[in-house]
Amino acid sequence: MAMQLIERPVANGVILELAGDLTYANREEFKGAVDLLRQKGCRHLILDMAGVRFVDSSGLGLLALVSQNFKLTQGRVSLLRPQSYVREIMSLANITQLMPIYDNEQDAMTGHSQAA
Amino acid sequence: MSTLSPLNHSSGHVPEVPTPTVLLVDDEPITRLRLATRLKRLGYRVLEAHDGKTGLDLLRRERPDLTILDWLMPEMDGPMFCEQVRRDPALLSSQILMMTTQDQPEHLAEGLGRGADDFLSKAASPYELAARVQAGLRTAVLIRSLEQATAEIQRKQAVLEHELRSAAQYVESLLPNPGLLIPGVRMAHVYRPALQLGGDLFNIVHWSEHQIGLYLLDASGHGVSPALRSASLSTFLRGDNLKSHVRTTDPGAILTEANQLFPLTEDGHYFTIIFVRLDMGAQTLAYATAGHQGTIVHRRTGEVAWLTSPALPLGFDPSYEYATVELPVVPGDRLYVLSDGLYEVPSPDGELWGPARLQRTIGELGHRPLSEVIDRTIEAAEGWLGHDHFPDDVAVMGFELEAESSHPVTGR
Repeated sequence: MAMQLIERPVANGVILELAGDLTYANREEFKGAVDLLRQKGCRHLILDMAGVRFVDSSGLGLLALVSQNFKLTQGRVSLLRPQSYVREIMSLANITQLMPIYDNEQDAMTGHSQAA
Repeated sequence: MSTLSPLNHSSGHVPEVPTPTVLLVDDEPITRLRLATRLKRLGYRVLEAHDGKTGLDLLRRERPDLTILDWLMPEMDGPMFCEQVRRDPALLSSQILMMTTQDQPEHLAEGLGRGADDFLSKAASPYELAARVQAGLRTAVLIRSLEQATAEIQRKQAVLEHELRSAAQYVESLLPNPGLLIPGVRMAHVYRPALQLGGDLFNIVHWSEHQIGLYLLDASGHGVSPALRSASLSTFLRGDNLKSHVRTTDPGAILTEANQLFPLTEDGHYFTIIFVRLDMGAQTLAYATAGHQGTIVHRRTGEVAWLTSPALPLGFDPSYEYATVELPVVPGDRLYVLSDGLYEVPSPDGELWGPARLQRTIGELGHRPLSEVIDRTIEAAEGWLGHDHFPDDVAVMGFELEAESSHPVTGR
C-alpha cells in the first residue's frame, strides 16, 4: 500500500499526517517529505500515526533516523495516536525513549502530560 | 550487397546490418520466382521453399528475418504453418507475412488468430510488397534486439546468482559447529535465509571451559547489504576482539560498545541482537537485548518463558546503556534463541503465527531431542504458513544444559 502524507503547520511545528504502511517500500516518500520539512526549518515534527496500519523494521529504522536528524538541528520528533499494533512494535523496540507518544494534538504541541 | 538494402538507407548512423533474409514459402513456382526476383532486386537475401515442411526446416536452420507464406498450399497450408511456428519456442518470434487472394475481415481475422503477423494480397503492387516487407523487417529487428537484451540480462543474472551463492556459502561457513560446546552445553541449530543471502547471523564465543557467549543478530533490510553488515558485526563480536577491545564478558557492556560502533546507516538500517553469556560454573544465564525479542527458556520443570527486556535496537541512540539481566539455570534447562522470521509468518488469510503459538509449540514438544524440537517447530510454522518458503530469514539455535559429569565430550 502506498503512503499518503499531508502536512499541516501548527504553533512551533508541523503535523505530518501519515496514511498507509510505513515500510521499506514507502521509505523514499517518507524520508523525502520529512527531510524537506527539516530543511525548511521545522523544529518540532509531529507524526500523526493514526492512519498507519503497519510499521516494518525498515520503518522503525526510518523513525529513529528522523529523530536523530532532527536532534542534530536542535529539533524534535513526536508521535501522535499510533494504532495499537504499531504502538506495540514501538514499545517492544523501546522507541518511546526516543520519541514521546501523545494521544492528542494539544498535548503533542505543548509536550505536556505525556501519554503511553 | 548490403548497401542496396532498403533498411540501410533509413538507418545510416547505425552500424552496418547484415543483409536481411526473407524466406518464401509457396507451392507455385511462378509466384515464387516473381516474388524472389523482386525481393532480390530490393537487396534481400532470399530463401525458397516449395511446401510448408521444407519451409519449417529452413526456418529452423536459417532463422530468416521474415517469412512470406502462401495461405493455400497442399498438406500444410499457411495457417497450419503459422500454428506450428507459434508452438515452437525457438521459432515463435518469427515474423510471418501471409499471402492471400481474399480480403474479407473474417478471413484475415482467422489468419491473425492462427499466427500470421500481417497479410499481403497476391495482387499487391511492387510498392506495396516493398512497404510490407520493410514493415515486417522493422518488427523483426525490434524483436531480435529484445531477444538479445533478454539473453544478456539472463547471462548477467546467472553471474550475479553465482556470486550470491558463493557469498552465501561464506556466510554459512561463519556459523558455529553444532554439538557439545563446552562441558554441559550442547547446541543444535538451523539457518534458512529467505533469499540466498540472509541478514541474520548467529555464533558462539568461547571464553573458558565454563563460559561461552552466544548471540543472534538481525540486520534490517534484505539482500547483499545486510549480509555484509552482519558479517562485519560478527567480526566485532569475535572472542579475541571482545577480549582486547571490550575487556568484559558482560552482555550489556558488549552491546553498549557495539551500539557506538554501529550507528544507523544513511537509509536508517540497523541491527537487532540478543547476546547471552552462559556460565556453567556459576550456573547463570546473563543476557542483554537490543530490540531483539527471540529468546525462550524451557525449564527442566516444563515452564516455558520468553526472555524479554525492551531495549532500543543498535544505532538508535548512541548514548544508550544496555542492561544485563541475569538468571539462574540448571542442567535440564534449554534455551532457544531464534529470529522473528520463525514466528512472524502469516497464514494464507494473513494472521500471524506469533510468539504465543511458538511458545506453546515448544512446550508441547517437551524434552524430545533438541534438534527434533527445532525441526518440528519449523514444521509447525510451515504448516501455519501453508508452504516452506519463509518470507524472512529463519535462524534458530537451541541449547541444552546437561549435568557435566553424566555426558562425556563427544560430537553430536
